[in-house]
Amino acid sequence: MPTYLLFDVGSTYTKGCIVDIDQERILAQASALTTATTDISIGIQAVKDRMMDVLSKVTIDQTLACSSAKGGLKMVAVGLVPDLTLKAATLACYSAGAKVIQAYSFMLNDHEIKQIEDSGCDLLLLTGGTDGGNRDVVLHNASKLSKLNRKFPILYAGNKSCQDDIRAILSAGGFDITICPNVMPVYGVLEVEECRDKIRDLFLSTIVKAKGLSELNSLIKEIVLPTPYSVMEALKLLSSGTKSESGIGDLMAVDIGGATTDVYSMNKQFVVKDNVGYKGLKEPLQKRSVEGDLGVRFNAHSVYELKADEVDDEGMKDYVQEIEEGKIDSFDTQKDSRLAAWCCEIACQRHAGRMETSYTPMGVGYYQSGKDLRDVRVMIGIGGPILHSKNPVEILKKALTQKAHPEILLPLEIEAYLDRNYVVSCLGLLAHRHPDEVLRLLKRNVEKLNDE
Amino acid sequence: MEKTTIVIGVIGADVHAVGNRIIEYAMNQAGFNVVNLGVMVSQKEFVDAAIETNAKAIIVSSLYGHGELDCRGLGDACKEAGLDVLLYVGGNLVVGKSDFEVVEEKFKKMGFDRVYPPGSDIEQGIRDLMADLKNKA
Repeated sequence: MPTYLLFDVGSTYTKGCIVDIDQERILAQASALTTATTDISIGIQAVKDRMMDVLSKVTIDQTLACSSAKGGLKMVAVGLVPDLTLKAATLACYSAGAKVIQAYSFMLNDHEIKQIEDSGCDLLLLTGGTDGGNRDVVLHNASKLSKLNRKFPILYAGNKSCQDDIRAILSAGGFDITICPNVMPVYGVLEVEECRDKIRDLFLSTIVKAKGLSELNSLIKEIVLPTPYSVMEALKLLSSGTKSESGIGDLMAVDIGGATTDVYSMNKQFVVKDNVGYKGLKEPLQKRSVEGDLGVRFNAHSVYELKADEVDDEGMKDYVQEIEEGKIDSFDTQKDSRLAAWCCEIACQRHAGRMETSYTPMGVGYYQSGKDLRDVRVMIGIGGPILHSKNPVEILKKALTQKAHPEILLPLEIEAYLDRNYVVSCLGLLAHRHPDEVLRLLKRNVEKLNDE
Repeated sequence: MEKTTIVIGVIGADVHAVGNRIIEYAMNQAGFNVVNLGVMVSQKEFVDAAIETNAKAIIVSSLYGHGELDCRGLGDACKEAGLDVLLYVGGNLVVGKSDFEVVEEKFKKMGFDRVYPPGSDIEQGIRDLMADLKNKA
């Protein structure tokens, strides 16, 4: 079986590893600091140099990469009702590893069309209506979009009854239109899998080239996945296991970066406890959420603003100011940990479901919306700020249910784990090719932390 | 031909589920595509569901006596959302022994097309719905 050279490019650190599938071993691993402005190939070369000892001795059969370069996969989501098809569309984008830079509901107006024109999106997901449901709004939106000057791929995943019309309208407008099954075929039912696959296919077939990532092609022979997609594949495998080897079960993971914080939750079943009603769309068992305003570098300031009123400052204000102005020479690990802890706390709270209490004439009633994660125990930390922290457990513990907010359905207890060697995103690239081997590699490399 | 979609549910904090199931069953049998929102349904959920599914009617149940409070504004909310739907309501709509005609008038003023007292025959409701839909078409 082959030996792979894997890269994760485009974020603050470029990561790389060499994996020998036969021996089920990671032969070498390295990361290098890369700034957003530098050429991707510089980071790759730096990582290669650091692994040169091993690299010079083995034969690499294939080189693969996941990328979040040039802003990652930037998408615009268009739906009908905000809580229904727009939410479904947004969840579909997230689960495909995309960042939703704009989201629109109901009929698009000229102002919104202008915003989409200027958004610089890589792909637009158009939805609206259940199958056999509303047609007018999505047809209106398609014909508005068809007049845009800037062309980008459009994926349609709305009312199936309009598929042919939508194809005709958007093709006539010069758009590359892809059709896939409805993200919400019947009321309240979410179907994101096919949509997710189509987004990935479009990323590979057209977007990588359009984003100017083809410079990667000279260095890397095959597949470039969006990084969060690859992370998701790895976490799915780690959670559910394979036919021959069991996974570790339900888990959550938080990936804190410089600009964004991603939260993942993988569940076997959708939990709704006894005597609790459910409201709204049932979210995916494998859910990812992205917080575009939470990060320890480019968004340090916005994280601070969100927490400033609740916490003692202890120099944080000056620190985030310095980061913002780019005046910092050496980063303060302790303060970075504090920022990371805030990112973890806010992002996990936004990710989790809610329990509402309703006092009715028949007694107290409870209803849930979103995912109940109270019974999840495994909490995995991914990304530089957690990795470099002196106390990663403390950061991850911010994902616990808080006494002041029992309505937010976060874990009651956690066991903290860490992606110590920065390998989760890279290993996700091999999740489909060598599931058993990769699962065992993940189990060995996602390290359990002791409570300090 | 595509089936006509209708949205049903029990409004407010009401958890009476049995009648809701009977309505779902009977309406399905009568050939409708039924979107059942279940119990404890808010006005917003009725409106959102009707928009996405292109429903032609919203059928609201209320059994616990608070129907008047819960239903107030639903007719306006539908108009505001641009929905052109038939709005039906039925059940134990108010507490105490009110004259049904008074209750009916009150709910009609709130924008409901048909109002049904406790113990109404579902078959009658279905006949009314079919006739009203035909008249509207």
